[in-house]
Amino acid sequence: MKNKRSLFAVPYVGWMALFVVAPIVMVVIYAFTTAAGGFTLENFSSMGTYASVFTRSFWLAILATLICLLIGYPAAYLISREGPRFQRAAMMLVMLPMWMNFLLRTYSWMSVLENNGLINRLFAAIGLFKLINGVTGGEMEYFHMINTQGAVVLGMVYNYLPFMILPIYSVIEKMDGSLLEAARDLGAGSARVFSKVILPLSLPGVLSGVTMVFVPSVSTFAISRLLGGGTQMMLGDLIEQQFLGGAYSPHLGAAIALVMMVIVVVCMVVMNHFGEGEEQAVML
Amino acid sequence: MSKKLISLADCCVAFDGELVLDHINLYFNDSEFLTLLGPSGCGKTTTLRIIGGFLTPTSGEVLFDGVRINDVPPNQRQINTVFQRYALFPHLNVFENVAFGLRIPKTEAGKRKKARLPEEEIHQRVLEMLEVVSLKGFETRRITELSGGQQQRVAIARALVNRPKVLLLDEPLGALDLRLRKDMQSELKRIQQQLGITFIYVTHDQEEALAMSDTIVVMDQGRIQQIGTPEDIYNEPKNAFVADFIGESNILDGVMHEDYVVEFFNRKFKCLDKGFAPMEPVDVVIRPEDVDIVPPEKGQLRGTVTSVTFKGVHYDTIVDFKGFKWLIQTTDYHPEGETIGIILNPDDIHIMHKSPYSGMFGDYSSYSEEYDELEDISLLEEDVEGGDEE
Amino acid sequence: MKKQRRSGSRLFIGLIFLFLYLPIFLLIVFSFNAGDSSAVWKGFSLHWYGELFQNRLIMESLYMTLLVSLLATVISTAAGTFAAIGLYSLSRRKRDALLVVNNIPMMNADIVTGVSLCLFFVAFFQGWGGVARWVNGIQNAVELPTRLTLGFGTLLLAHIAFNIPYVILNVAPRLRQMDKNLVDAAQDLGCTWMQAFWRVILPEIKPGIVSGALIAFTMSVDDFVISYFTAGSSTSTLSMTIYGMTKRRITPEINAVSTLLFLTVLLLLVIVNVREVRQERRGVSLEPRKLTWMEKLSVRTSTPRWRWVKRGAGAAMACCFVAAVIFLTGATSSRPVVNVCSWGEYIDTDLITRFEEETGIRVNYQTVESNETLYSLLKSGGADYDVVVPSDYMIARLIEEDMLEELDYGNIPNFELIDDRFKYLSYDPENIYTVPYTWGTLGIIYNAAVVEEDISSWSVLYDDKYAGNVLLINNSRDALGAALLYLGYSVNTTSEAEIREAYALIDDANRRGVFQGKVMDEVFQKMEGGNAAIATYYAGDYLSMRDNQAEGVDLAFVIPEEGSNWFVDAMCILKDAPHKTEAEMWINFIASTDANLANMDYIWYASPNRVALEQYPAYYEELYGEELDPETYEIMAASAEVLERCEVYENLPGETQQLYSRLWVELGTG
Repeated sequence: MKNKRSLFAVPYVGWMALFVVAPIVMVVIYAFTTAAGGFTLENFSSMGTYASVFTRSFWLAILATLICLLIGYPAAYLISREGPRFQRAAMMLVMLPMWMNFLLRTYSWMSVLENNGLINRLFAAIGLFKLINGVTGGEMEYFHMINTQGAVVLGMVYNYLPFMILPIYSVIEKMDGSLLEAARDLGAGSARVFSKVILPLSLPGVLSGVTMVFVPSVSTFAISRLLGGGTQMMLGDLIEQQFLGGAYSPHLGAAIALVMMVIVVVCMVVMNHFGEGEEQAVML
Repeated sequence: MSKKLISLADCCVAFDGELVLDHINLYFNDSEFLTLLGPSGCGKTTTLRIIGGFLTPTSGEVLFDGVRINDVPPNQRQINTVFQRYALFPHLNVFENVAFGLRIPKTEAGKRKKARLPEEEIHQRVLEMLEVVSLKGFETRRITELSGGQQQRVAIARALVNRPKVLLLDEPLGALDLRLRKDMQSELKRIQQQLGITFIYVTHDQEEALAMSDTIVVMDQGRIQQIGTPEDIYNEPKNAFVADFIGESNILDGVMHEDYVVEFFNRKFKCLDKGFAPMEPVDVVIRPEDVDIVPPEKGQLRGTVTSVTFKGVHYDTIVDFKGFKWLIQTTDYHPEGETIGIILNPDDIHIMHKSPYSGMFGDYSSYSEEYDELEDISLLEEDVEGGDEE
Repeated sequence: MKKQRRSGSRLFIGLIFLFLYLPIFLLIVFSFNAGDSSAVWKGFSLHWYGELFQNRLIMESLYMTLLVSLLATVISTAAGTFAAIGLYSLSRRKRDALLVVNNIPMMNADIVTGVSLCLFFVAFFQGWGGVARWVNGIQNAVELPTRLTLGFGTLLLAHIAFNIPYVILNVAPRLRQMDKNLVDAAQDLGCTWMQAFWRVILPEIKPGIVSGALIAFTMSVDDFVISYFTAGSSTSTLSMTIYGMTKRRITPEINAVSTLLFLTVLLLLVIVNVREVRQERRGVSLEPRKLTWMEKLSVRTSTPRWRWVKRGAGAAMACCFVAAVIFLTGATSSRPVVNVCSWGEYIDTDLITRFEEETGIRVNYQTVESNETLYSLLKSGGADYDVVVPSDYMIARLIEEDMLEELDYGNIPNFELIDDRFKYLSYDPENIYTVPYTWGTLGIIYNAAVVEEDISSWSVLYDDKYAGNVLLINNSRDALGAALLYLGYSVNTTSEAEIREAYALIDDANRRGVFQGKVMDEVFQKMEGGNAAIATYYAGDYLSMRDNQAEGVDLAFVIPEEGSNWFVDAMCILKDAPHKTEAEMWINFIASTDANLANMDYIWYASPNRVALEQYPAYYEELYGEELDPETYEIMAASAEVLERCEVYENLPGETQQLYSRLWVELGTG
């Protein structure tokens, strides 16, 4: 009886070997070979050139993750304190934007942030620039917002904020109410209840939220291209360029992807170690 | 009495090379209430699963009405089960849960096409059965809206509505509170008598077993320790394990001098047992409630009370006899430190052959309330283990 | 006090929703815009919704998105459910190990998943080619295709691959929570294992399956990155189409289609939610309750006759689904097809329709953004084009690498109409591979409303005066070419020192913040909207930008004194193209005078067709009733003396090419 059921797993194991493991093996193979097929480490040794791309990508992704956490945590917490109908509606609203294509949403920010975009038009219309120019004597016509690192981070925060709110919310929401009462009963004030009970217990949600924001942020290429203008490359752009962009070099691309993957995995292992023993929060 | 319905012949079950059932030979009579009794991990649930068809014995045969059924899947056996936590289908209401088995199309002998019961018959049989378990009017309730006792009844109805020849019950009362448990015990007994089919009942609760069964099979470590009526099991335990597991026992080392004469504590006592070899070392069982306390000067033995616990009907009194501590249940209060005497009548003494269990039970030197708790923990352990098997 | 805190908290939540929904709100609002800008409101109109259904590109990619998402959802839900059941009957250690592997696609960055699948598919195709040839060689019964490319199949596989983990993740907790005895109980009551599966396991884990399917579908619809790397060139999902458009100008039809999708989902979610709330309220009561209509239905439909109807309906639905898939994929494959790849907005789309009507051949028209990207696509095996339209130097490179097929000019009589100036050029000296498509010049486009001086030199590209307002062209050849010209070198120099000097010039300007961004087709909306002042781009595109420029923007074009590049883009057929005959028909059709005139009018690039080039001013006058501005014509078809100043790109030796791409990647890393 048992054996029969576990047979169901066999096709999937085969599938995973083919479509999960084999592709990653391909990346590894590509990363260590030349176009001619020989073994090489050059793809890695030449990566020093791109150190700045790595640091920029990781820095911007960390920044975006932190901001998401700073906004997302209180949002999740506050939503969880509301009534059940409000919670349900709020969670629906958090998930709903995913149904608008993310490129379009990002593009929409483009039209907001452009030099001649909505915000600058708005400011011009209310005479803000005249006011500033009157004070400074300058000739300001717009705030430069598009194609800056700030715009890229904004795009990441905007796109991935729901991924931070959802797991944190689902952990806080499942928290046993009697735990909080117990803490109160033992004499803890609200601040203490939060810092000693709610915060540590919501850590698994935070960890999975951080992962879900950080990973796509560090590897994005559409956001940096649309809002960052492409002059300051990120890892995603760099990889994309090696495969489908202007600099065809899949071996180098594979090496960069591999290094990125390893760094991300190491980060996550360290982080999960940090929150050890906690069950992984369910994703949605 | 009546004919053998199911027999297990030399059944062994091994998981990962570990013998869980060790050469079990057992038969079940038609329309009897038989209980498999034993501590967790004794193999009683495994035995039940073999009968139910969820497990094929590693070796040995399972016979139903004389026919080998080792390889017959559970759905083709005329046996139904009431599961430990009822295993009711949460997505179906009470009616549909009970009707579940009736709705399964069955291949009748000789016909190729699968037959379905007519809806009217299903309706009638389900309602009938709900009446038997006193759940009339609950048809449309959701399972989650029922209390534990009601769920229990649904589980029984669901199994019985298929008119099995044998009903297996796997610790069905374990999740109920004490009061409900007592009610359900008599309810089950009533149903069994009303329908006249075989019940095979698994429990670790000796009281339950004694109260309900026609026959009790005591198991431990994958082996059958004793088979008998509740009275036999209680009064004539075969070894130290049975003596200890069924009720409380003081078990002492003794030597059988000759028929009807046993020596322990350097003293000869009269008893009712015979048939032992001369000077054979034996285990002597004395039930705590059989001991009569008398003033010290009148006693056959003299000891000092070391602890007294009030138990409602009686006091659990621990008495020290030359370093060996006995449990004595008495309605009189004897304060700690008092010296008392006891008298043992011949029918208070039960003699058993030595067994691997000798010396493991029956000493109350470390008696404490924790003993009771231990039992609960072992119950939990079994649950965990049972979950992992899947 | 408490009340205050509560309203404070609501305010915060409200602000977050404002942040999340403001851009979406804008998108929706601008789908009703009468104008085609996504920043300037020109009045309410449903125009774009009507237009949407006419837009083949969008409708096809919408259809593709829904098809892939639905198929992937159905398949991965079924597969994931079975896999989860299988996994849960394994021992814990094995299961945990497998779950780690299962989680890889979810934890991995999308781009890594996409890239790895792309590499895997390409490697598989290469291996397959050999096997197929061998199999075809030893038997004649079955003819296996030897050439596989990325396309619908790989896209679907990739979607299934990244969906299954989500399904498992959602089904697994249900299985974990399910009482293990339920299956035993069902079997005990007479079910076979399969019956138990349908009657007990499935209803038990149904909520998990449903939410898994929903998430899988959402992920599929929203996915861009993985599709981008695995769909190849001939298949395009909505996301990919949008990505293609973001580079240039998102047409409001996209806003319209997204609004429709969004509102549909909103509606569905509201319905589902309301129903859940109702059910929940009902579920709490302990009183015996009336059967819900669902239960009534299930009681009624459990009688044999109804069951038969139900089963029949299920089977019919399954058949319809399969038939639809076969029909739709079959419909696209049975008709003759030609796969064409060109640049964005580089054809009068009416021509495609006209060709299809005339010949019955379906045109699968795709675009890429630059010669270099095209090259990457071809090299990575991601493309199954028949006709491509690269520029001169890239043609030379493709010829050198033996990637082009010789043309049969007998099938292309219209080649005669091509002006001799554009035949036998250096990239194809014997003219056996190419038929010219357009020609033009590279120059500086600037917003005269902002730039007050008359620009005449490439120097403005590197000038602090316009810091933050200059757009660098995002292809190495043109960007470095302009710098080389400014420094007085040839655009075809192979001197590493000269090239490095040119690079240093750009790099330095980049560090000083002169460039606002690196753009290709993004240049359109940037320049038209007045969001940047100076850009390097092509003459024809300047003219179409001028047509669309926003109020207060005054675009001008100049070919700098230092000289520039003049280029020819020509149609060629790729080696082993599967539809060579259709491809030659297409080329011949496009080379005709009619087509050239229509194209010239639509894309503002000069035609190599002698007759069309001469006739265009007259054609324009007839069409619009006004004379064609001679200056415009001059920009379009540069005069001989201007061309005198311009150089044609030649194919550079491999070393220099590598230097170009290395420097180009480095530019962004600084």
